[in-house]
Amino acid sequence: MEIQRDNRRFKEIVRGRIKENLRKYITHGEMIGRKGRDLVSIPVPQLDVPKFRFGKNGSGGVGQGDGKVGDPVGQPGDGDGGQGGAGSEPGSGHLLEVDVSLEELAEMLGDELELPRIQPKGSATIEAEKSKYNSIRQTGPESLRHRRRTYLRALRRQISTGNYEVDDPRVVPIRADHQYRSWNEVPLPQVNAVAIYLMDVSGSMTDEQKQIVRTEAFWIDAWLAKQYHGVERRYIIHDAVAKEVDEHTFYHTRESGGTRISSAYKEAAELIARDLPVDQWNIYCFQFSDGDNWGDDNRRAFELLAERILPAVNLFCYGQVESPYGSGDFLDAIEKEFGNHEAVVTSEIADRDGIYESIRTFLGKGR
Amino acid sequence: MSLSAQLRSELAQLVGQTNQTVRVVDGQRSVRCEADRVEPLAVTALVLVLETPELANVTLFEIQAASADLCRRVNYLLEPIAPIETDSQGCSVQMRSNPPQQDDNGRRYYELHLSRGGSVELCRYEKQPGQPRTRVPAVLTHEVTCRLVDDFVATVEGL
Repeated sequence: MEIQRDNRRFKEIVRGRIKENLRKYITHGEMIGRKGRDLVSIPVPQLDVPKFRFGKNGSGGVGQGDGKVGDPVGQPGDGDGGQGGAGSEPGSGHLLEVDVSLEELAEMLGDELELPRIQPKGSATIEAEKSKYNSIRQTGPESLRHRRRTYLRALRRQISTGNYEVDDPRVVPIRADHQYRSWNEVPLPQVNAVAIYLMDVSGSMTDEQKQIVRTEAFWIDAWLAKQYHGVERRYIIHDAVAKEVDEHTFYHTRESGGTRISSAYKEAAELIARDLPVDQWNIYCFQFSDGDNWGDDNRRAFELLAERILPAVNLFCYGQVESPYGSGDFLDAIEKEFGNHEAVVTSEIADRDGIYESIRTFLGKGR
Repeated sequence: MSLSAQLRSELAQLVGQTNQTVRVVDGQRSVRCEADRVEPLAVTALVLVLETPELANVTLFEIQAASADLCRRVNYLLEPIAPIETDSQGCSVQMRSNPPQQDDNGRRYYELHLSRGGSVELCRYEKQPGQPRTRVPAVLTHEVTCRLVDDFVATVEGL
């Protein structure tokens, strides 16, 4: 019990340190490369972990050797040793790698940014089978043996057969007493959510802009995953032409084509119409671009957005990431056109430091 | 008289004036320079554009080759120019300073467009920290302005 209390205390300290530095983690995205299936390994700075310090072997020790009452106790190795020199390498800063679950991270993010819980749209209409350990069987693997029930059954048997002695209350289960936990498949209503990421990969979007998008998408994913079980993610890239791609391609593609945002909206609208029935899915769109849309494409893009995307989504977020050439005009145009629409949220991300506020803006609506 | 020679002559006559649009024509080609201010040695130009119907039927491949040729020629501005985006639908190429000029006051860069239709256009943008991007006048000496016009013409002729 003592070690469990210490472990809990240690986790609280780690959690506190991560929360203190959360803004840095959000901004720099250094943990993203460390992402496992459900855990993220985070380097926590300046966390002093108690540890034993060993002396030199054979050099004596406190309380050893001849001596009389009142003699001062010497320290091992007294008199030896010289002046130490400064190290030439930079210190590690006591970095400690700590595994934190994505769910915990999302919770910290929610606390830090004071994000409201998402209210799912509509009711849960899809049912998924889930295994639930809610029954007992006579057979099963030993790892699932239900000890309390086994001993109760053994006790009942011993009492009924007269083998139980009150003065010597020993209960010895036999094979026939063994009880095992077992499961049943139960249908659970499931609320489905999908995040559709749209990114401009035209020539003016550099790797730095894509890294910003990647970092922001990581945190958005973490938050959505906490709110919904099994969030699905779909990725669309575009320059003048759009296509649906996998996650790796999404973050590592660079094209030299011009920017036609309408192509991405068309692809997203077709994806929704084809795969994501609106009454069964909570749909979230996150679009990132430097805002340099070509020609008169805004008009076509806004038609698609108004007619085919906005009626289907819980939230449509547009993040304008500043490129080396500054920010384009699309942000102003979309704000002018849809500034009062309840499902549309926009943010301007000047650099990595802008990610923090952008996430707060996107997820702060609680939709 | 060539377009550049005509433009030099027009600019010389407008020294000291502000908000002037200079237009010179040579056959099918014309050059328009929207000058914010004309000074004895230089002009601050909001836009310098060569318009010609010779670009009406070019293919995407040809216009990409022409933009690469233009970037090679125009190597005397404040920053090197490179193709950034190619619009296959509109058949045009956007070229920009690469990298843009950057200091504590923000970023500045040239932008050139070569479009089927057709035109070759140059302008300059500035993005100050925390401010929206704005088009600013490009300060070009008369000599550089005329050389740009010659290079625009050479690019079109090379198609």
